[in-house]
Amino acid sequence: MKTLRNLQGPALTLALLCALWLIVIVGLLALKPSVYNLGTVTTILQFSTILALVGLGQGLVIMAGGAGIDLSVGGAVSLSAIVAMLCLKLGLPPVLLPAVCILAGAMLGALNGWLVNGLALLPFIATLGTFFVYSGAALAVTGGAAQAGVPPWLLLWGRGVVMGIPMPFLTLAIPCFALAGLVLLSTAWGRWIYAMGFNERSAKLVGIPVDRVRFILYVLSGALAGAAGLVSIAWLGSGRPNIGQNLELESLTAAMLGGIAITGGRGGVGGVFAAVLLLVTLKTGLLQLNINTVWQVGIVGALLVFVLLADRLSQRWRS
Amino acid sequence: MNAVRLIGDGVFSMNGREWSLLVACLLAIVIFSVASPHYATSGNAATVLRNSVELLLIGLGMTLLLAMGGIDVSIGIVMGLAAIAIGRVLGADGNPLLAIVVGPLVGALLGCVTAAVVVLGRVPAIVGTLGLLGVYRTAVFVLLGGQWLSGLPSSLTNLLATSVLGVPVPALAIAVAYLAVWLALRRTPYGLHLLAIGNSEEKARLSGIPVIKVRFITFVISGVLTGIAATFYVATYRNVEMTIGSTLALDAIAAVILGGTSILGGRCSLIGTVLGVLLLRILQNGLLLIGVPSLWQPVVTGVLIIGVLGFEAVCNGLPLGRFQRARA
Repeated sequence: MKTLRNLQGPALTLALLCALWLIVIVGLLALKPSVYNLGTVTTILQFSTILALVGLGQGLVIMAGGAGIDLSVGGAVSLSAIVAMLCLKLGLPPVLLPAVCILAGAMLGALNGWLVNGLALLPFIATLGTFFVYSGAALAVTGGAAQAGVPPWLLLWGRGVVMGIPMPFLTLAIPCFALAGLVLLSTAWGRWIYAMGFNERSAKLVGIPVDRVRFILYVLSGALAGAAGLVSIAWLGSGRPNIGQNLELESLTAAMLGGIAITGGRGGVGGVFAAVLLLVTLKTGLLQLNINTVWQVGIVGALLVFVLLADRLSQRWRS
Repeated sequence: MNAVRLIGDGVFSMNGREWSLLVACLLAIVIFSVASPHYATSGNAATVLRNSVELLLIGLGMTLLLAMGGIDVSIGIVMGLAAIAIGRVLGADGNPLLAIVVGPLVGALLGCVTAAVVVLGRVPAIVGTLGLLGVYRTAVFVLLGGQWLSGLPSSLTNLLATSVLGVPVPALAIAVAYLAVWLALRRTPYGLHLLAIGNSEEKARLSGIPVIKVRFITFVISGVLTGIAATFYVATYRNVEMTIGSTLALDAIAAVILGGTSILGGRCSLIGTVLGVLLLRILQNGLLLIGVPSLWQPVVTGVLIIGVLGFEAVCNGLPLGRFQRARA
């Protein structure tokens, strides 16, 4: 149990993330004191919800090893949101909108899972292909136009705030992370994921259904992307074909910052959660300081490279 | 598993894969000619060839990278950065000879940066270059300062639009680059080492191949080729826009995979890449002319990548060596 807890979220990672987060916040407050209010917290959590859901799926896929990676998450977010809104236009009862959105994401994830498992394609090339298919299709089908017509009750959920915490964050992101943490820590499934990420061949030899677990994780990553698409619809009031832009980079950075090893088998969802909050706080801070948004993608990219290099260095240092 | 194919490959030797690509190219031309009256014109043929120049050069580098089990998704934006450097030199000075040198130099430099992260830092190529892609994209925006680089002097254009002995300079450059890459791949120890690394990096290392050096050099070669591509880009369009090169990496990967180079190592075809580039550009141009909006292009390219790989997987018999090559 102790070793498992070590795997789950190295306390050092969490401490470092908290320290970085404090630095960002103190820096932001020093440069612009007017951000000190509850509204900022709400905004940050609102932005965090989408990245948190996507980052969770990405993190689980990577954790399961086998060079697992899901580059298509951003495209899946956009396309599932668009598919759901188009279904609504074609006469789908509005009550089913959330279900259709998540289902569409799950099916996109299932395609990834089939390419990786059934056809044994390398995950990075298979999901790179589906990334362009999904995000391209979302843009091409709509011609780039946002799809309006979200039912009012969904907006009520998407824009609702309880004690400064946005409803989607409270009712979707937090339960998903809690559930994932619970599964990873205290069920056989969680152990299987760590085991196959750590050494796939041994995992197979001791009878873990590696292929089935991996397929389900890709489906899950897609379904979480679908849920993120739903949040975007409910929050923004329209299905936007480019809502998933840069999410593949941001979710990877969140997963790596959160202490998940790119080779799999190490890390936990707590770190991912902290990393998402750190990333979004940083992005919101830059926005508040009126720094052009083109800097965001560069900073997130630089962070990703930096984290990967730091991870390698610390490994060498330890051994 | 796959025997490394070596000496004995002629410069343009083709086998089943390449022949079927050639047939596919011809078939596509016939179909589009029937479907659109604007297709089979000499002007359009020139457009397709013209649009292929950068992709051919970048595709040669991408062939080496993929054959080695690497990848570089930032390569299109690297071309953008090199193009900006060329544009600035050209705008300040107008000396085309200096501008010709700048492109490959910047390309080599950025290739070194990528290699430092991916090879020396031992970061999986896909993740490392994705991070660099973000950094480079910001760099392009910042360097351009929110506006196009346009109205560049025509001195570079005049220099590169000429013909030598009746052969246009771009064609000559591509031929030279092709021959150089072919020689390196098929007639030097470097090529042998590269293919061995593609087959199994671990085995290559154990048999004494200087894995790090070979991988580093390959990223630099790819950077230099990209820098040359940027030179032709600037010479042709005489401007650099914000979105420069955003789909080039995907196109290059698709062309190389179409051409039959295996990411799992062991098979690498330069002539296949050339035909893959031509087929891709013929398809993109033809679809545009029969009225498919250009927004569909990434979808088509993505489907091509997955379709070709899926087809190969089915043909080769399923679960094929995932254990041997778990690498991203």
